[in-house]
Amino acid sequence: MTQQHILLFFISVLFTFTTNSQELQDTIKVKEVYGIRIGIDISKPINSFFNNETKGLEVVGDFRITRNYYAAVELGFLDKTTNEDYINFTTKGSYIKAGFNYNAYKNWKGMNNEIYVGLRYGFSIFNQTLNSYTPNVNGTYFIPETLQPATEFKDLTAQWIEFVFGMKVETFNNLYLGVSVSLNKMVNTKEPENFKNLHVPGFNRVFLNNTGVGFNYTLSYLIPILKKNK
Amino acid sequence: MKKYITLILVLIITILSCEKDDICIDTTTPSLIIRFYDNDNQTETKQVLLDSVWANSKENIYKNQTLDSIIIPLDLTQNNTLYKLTSNSIEDEINFTYDRKDIFVSRSCGYKTIFENLQIDSNTSNWIKNININNSTIENDTAAHITIFH
Repeated sequence: MTQQHILLFFISVLFTFTTNSQELQDTIKVKEVYGIRIGIDISKPINSFFNNETKGLEVVGDFRITRNYYAAVELGFLDKTTNEDYINFTTKGSYIKAGFNYNAYKNWKGMNNEIYVGLRYGFSIFNQTLNSYTPNVNGTYFIPETLQPATEFKDLTAQWIEFVFGMKVETFNNLYLGVSVSLNKMVNTKEPENFKNLHVPGFNRVFLNNTGVGFNYTLSYLIPILKKNK
Repeated sequence: MKKYITLILVLIITILSCEKDDICIDTTTPSLIIRFYDNDNQTETKQVLLDSVWANSKENIYKNQTLDSIIIPLDLTQNNTLYKLTSNSIEDEINFTYDRKDIFVSRSCGYKTIFENLQIDSNTSNWIKNININNSTIENDTAAHITIFH
């Protein structure tokens, strides 16, 4: 009876050890997926649908280089009419942003989420059309007329730097939802004559101190290429 | 980490949403400044009693005031403005001609009109003895553009 108990004890101890060691091996052998992730910014088509004066599209993509670094690219197009108190203008053009993200989030086993910071270089080529303006004058003694010059300033360019904060969450297998905010700083622009680049595709509204801000809501799909050990 | 991100986001949005280019604070379309001088002593300013100052077919800008300078707007839909100045019930007419140029100021201010090549096309000399153009380009409201001797 005692011998049987002792045997049972040893078997159970051995069993727990073996199961524990198997688990340990499992954590060692967790594989991380490397691949190309392609998606779109869903906020831009939604915005185009509700706002007649804005048409835009942005395709996003990233590629995992090392465990925490991802090369990232955004390609987009914008056609937007802005109405201010005394001016109305249309910005039309395309842009590319390229850079990298650093994932600062420590995932649990089997999870593939990200909280990241990133850096981008942005370049845009676009046209501005000054649709109409009303000369600004104090008082109402002489009332100015609204002029419609429809002047088109062609082949304007802009280059800028972006600091990005964002997160990506794997909702279904390989399908990611992402949100990010970017702070933009203009580096150089080709300005129109007797006008200013008040809106630049990709950069968005150009503030007085040549800064801008951007928001992205992305839906993207990961195409796995290879699996590496952690 | 998450808490800090939200904090940073809120901070950025509040800072950026109150940018100063939302309100027009720059100077816009300038007006014509006229200063009155003594015709006998041409270095001294001399006040004048103005019964009325008005542009053709418009209401008065000044009425029964004794002043040594006036600020009057120019018509920015035409290349001339006819002003009538009455002093002690004596009326004089001045017809200003100019070229207009619209200059971009900023997002919130839009464009301002400046006036170049200012000339006096015709004028009557009932109480006004002489008119001198100091500056034929009107791009700000800081100094007198026209001197009237009376």
